[in-house]
Amino acid sequence: MTERKEAWPARLALVAVVALALAACGVGGGGSGGTPTKGGTATFALLPDTKANYIFPMAPIQYFSVANFDQFQVLMVRPLYWFGNNGSVALNDQLSLAAEPQYSDDGKTVTIRLKNYRWSNGQPVTSRDVEFWMNLLRANKTSYAAYLAGGFPDNVVSMRFPDSQTAVFTLDKQYSSYFFTYNQLSEITPIPQAVWDRTSVNGPVGDYDRTPDGATAVYNFLDSQAKDLSTYATNPLWQVVDGPWHLKSFSTDGTLEMVPNPSYSGPVKPQLASFKELPFTTDSAEFNVLRAGQVDYGYIPVQDLAQRSYMSSHGYSYQPWTGWQITYVALNNSSPTVGPIFNQLYVRQAMQHLIDEEGWIKNILKDTGYPTYGPVPLKPTSKFLDAAEQRNPYPFDAAKAVSLLKAHGWDVKPDGVSTCQSPGTGASQCGDGIPAGTKLQFALQYASGSVYLQQEMEAMKSDFSKAGIQLNLTQQPFDSVIANAVPCTPGKPCGWDVANWGGGWIYAPDYFPTGDEIFASGAGNNNGAFSDPKLDQLIAQTTTDSSLKAIQQYEDYGSQDLPVLWTPVAQGQLSEIRTSLHGTGPQDPIFNLTPENWFFTK
Amino acid sequence: MIRYVGRRLLQSVVVLAGVTITVFVLTALLPGSTARAILGPKATPIAIAAFNHAHGLDRPLPVQYAVYVWQLAHGDLGFSYLLNESVGQLIGERLPKTLVLLTLAYAVALLVAVPIGMMQAVRRNRVEDYGITAVAFLLYSMPAFWLGLILIIVFSADLSILPPEGPQGGVDTYLGQLPALVLPVLSLSLITIALFSRYMRSSVIDNLVQDYVRTARAKGASESWVLYRHVLRNSLIPLITLLGLSLPVIFSGALITEAVFNLPGMGLLFWDAARRRDYPVLLGVTLVVAVATVIGNLLADILYATADPRVRLTGS
Repeated sequence: MTERKEAWPARLALVAVVALALAACGVGGGGSGGTPTKGGTATFALLPDTKANYIFPMAPIQYFSVANFDQFQVLMVRPLYWFGNNGSVALNDQLSLAAEPQYSDDGKTVTIRLKNYRWSNGQPVTSRDVEFWMNLLRANKTSYAAYLAGGFPDNVVSMRFPDSQTAVFTLDKQYSSYFFTYNQLSEITPIPQAVWDRTSVNGPVGDYDRTPDGATAVYNFLDSQAKDLSTYATNPLWQVVDGPWHLKSFSTDGTLEMVPNPSYSGPVKPQLASFKELPFTTDSAEFNVLRAGQVDYGYIPVQDLAQRSYMSSHGYSYQPWTGWQITYVALNNSSPTVGPIFNQLYVRQAMQHLIDEEGWIKNILKDTGYPTYGPVPLKPTSKFLDAAEQRNPYPFDAAKAVSLLKAHGWDVKPDGVSTCQSPGTGASQCGDGIPAGTKLQFALQYASGSVYLQQEMEAMKSDFSKAGIQLNLTQQPFDSVIANAVPCTPGKPCGWDVANWGGGWIYAPDYFPTGDEIFASGAGNNNGAFSDPKLDQLIAQTTTDSSLKAIQQYEDYGSQDLPVLWTPVAQGQLSEIRTSLHGTGPQDPIFNLTPENWFFTK
Repeated sequence: MIRYVGRRLLQSVVVLAGVTITVFVLTALLPGSTARAILGPKATPIAIAAFNHAHGLDRPLPVQYAVYVWQLAHGDLGFSYLLNESVGQLIGERLPKTLVLLTLAYAVALLVAVPIGMMQAVRRNRVEDYGITAVAFLLYSMPAFWLGLILIIVFSADLSILPPEGPQGGVDTYLGQLPALVLPVLSLSLITIALFSRYMRSSVIDNLVQDYVRTARAKGASESWVLYRHVLRNSLIPLITLLGLSLPVIFSGALITEAVFNLPGMGLLFWDAARRRDYPVLLGVTLVVAVATVIGNLLADILYATADPRVRLTGS
């Protein structure tokens, strides 16, 4: 925080407004007490080595990041539907540009009715702006981060825009309303057609988007403008917003400042005079600056958790930030050598029994993490999570792991390497494709640069040895691990057995936690080419059946089927927030920032 | 001299071509998909194919290299896969920061190390020599990140007299942030002073026993005249070699110091590019550092001739 200016009448008015808001919304914050003030600048520390560098919301995948989307673009240009509601992952009607979508009885037609939002140039946000987005997306879908073949917008057979406030989509088949709203409509961001529908800086605005060639030309123009980072704060295109903020300054090093959009027509108007994001090279560099009191909203690195009391005594409040994600270790089921071993459920069960999730959380994550027991995140709690998945079906139990292997024909050698003694497909034999003498010996590559991940993998190696499963650990950069962890191509060398890039899977911008992208047979991000027909069928059901039972059946089966090995989730961020900064909580599990809720107290 | 310089510049073209080919081939030999590394764990096969096509990664390696050289010949260093900026822009933003930081650090180091080294040589094997040697060894053995953190804790956290991070923004704003430069420069200088002063001490000791020093003294020259007019000039030659070798370092950045002091320069640009497979940036920075190496060596040779008239540069 750097400045606070105001007059008494405004302060009194603000006290009343904020008190009402607190009472009505339960808005939490960095601390409690004090007199709310209007104005001031709040500074927010970006995660290490991240920064905003793409402003056009239809971002290619390499620019689709929290720093670009959740903490930059959505502050200026709002998505059609806002997900994240009081700390949970749910459709937020208050912050959405449209009322909740209405599905026809046959589930094949969805009607969207826009609310009365306005662009900062005074024009209304209309269905033409939705059409503009859809036309650009259809013509340039392979350039968009969230595009999946056969998914959105391929599954929209036709679109109608009967009036300026209504959009009607006809779908190719019946979809689950959860799936279509959370994972398909979530990808729409109305953009200002009356300003952006052009193909050059000085060219006229037209209806270019209504032809595929024209839509491609418009996309190329907007993409080219988004490549000129030095003009982000000055380019008139990016100054037209419907969100609560617009850019005041932007530096290519990642520092940016936003000021309130005076024409914002949404429910919560900013109280701060401005909001700044600060980039950092490392978490240690950030913590040095935080300790010096030069950041209002920062984070404490896990390795510095012992300094929590120092921060607390210097006016900061500790608040872990829980993300909507699961973490896991991927197994290479497609490998001709180790794939047949991983294809055996009892082997996966034995391995899962050797992962001490609770122990890792206590000893490595210092009680800041939480376990993963299945495909739906345990935190934040959601309506998608059922009681069964909240229990660990494979608690840490080395003896159980040993007995599972022995029962299937393995000569188990604790602290050595177990070998298959009884090949074959019988109930007490090793299983299909596993010859006699096969060793339980795997290469595990994991992402470098994280102390806790290294400790977890070393603990895993140690615990796996109790059942004679030998893991040979290698560290590689995150990008190399994910580059290697792809299904093997027949006839080509396959360079991995087990992989852990540390990030697992974040359910965004597809917020409905089904497995169509990660665990279904042939899915683009099914790293080890895991395949189970029953799991496929349950995943498919989640996309067509609107009942919660469908997702719960899938998660219960997936939890026990182990398409991957579940591991604990580290908190997205261990926030340290100045106690005089309020309105920051609960922190959004999708990592969206809403500084329009923030205010300082004296 | 002109012929010599011309010949060395021609040789440098061959060296630079070799550098680019080596890096190009090495990056191609890395296992795994570059596109997947760049696009992340959510990349779909369609996105990967589109990326490979857009960046020519689906073409044979010699064709990729030919395209790169063609772009280079037109002054185009390429476009970052990840940072949404051209490599030229990125280097243009980062290099000035690195140059300011390292030039200041080397200047401070030279200003302190040369007199210290001379003083140690003149008073060798006395208490002050031993004391400075001990401090020099201590500083030289300190890991850069540790020294940086100690400086931050003492001067920023405890005494609150200096900022905990380097100057932010472009170098045009540095004049208004001079206090922010103190700790990063000091952190680099202290280690460099330790190194340079040891070289200087050794070189002065060697020269003090040379015949020309004895001759000067025999002719009645004062001790300070001998030291500053005769010994100093000859003793600087090893330091010139060190400085010549340091020029590439000045261009390639100080990774640890940049990371600790939140001062993104060439070091972090290169490190991140290598870690994240941002090959256009990797190649661009490598090329700049290679050019600096070639020029550094050339300048060192020319400075030898200036410092020592016995050295003659020829084109043969």
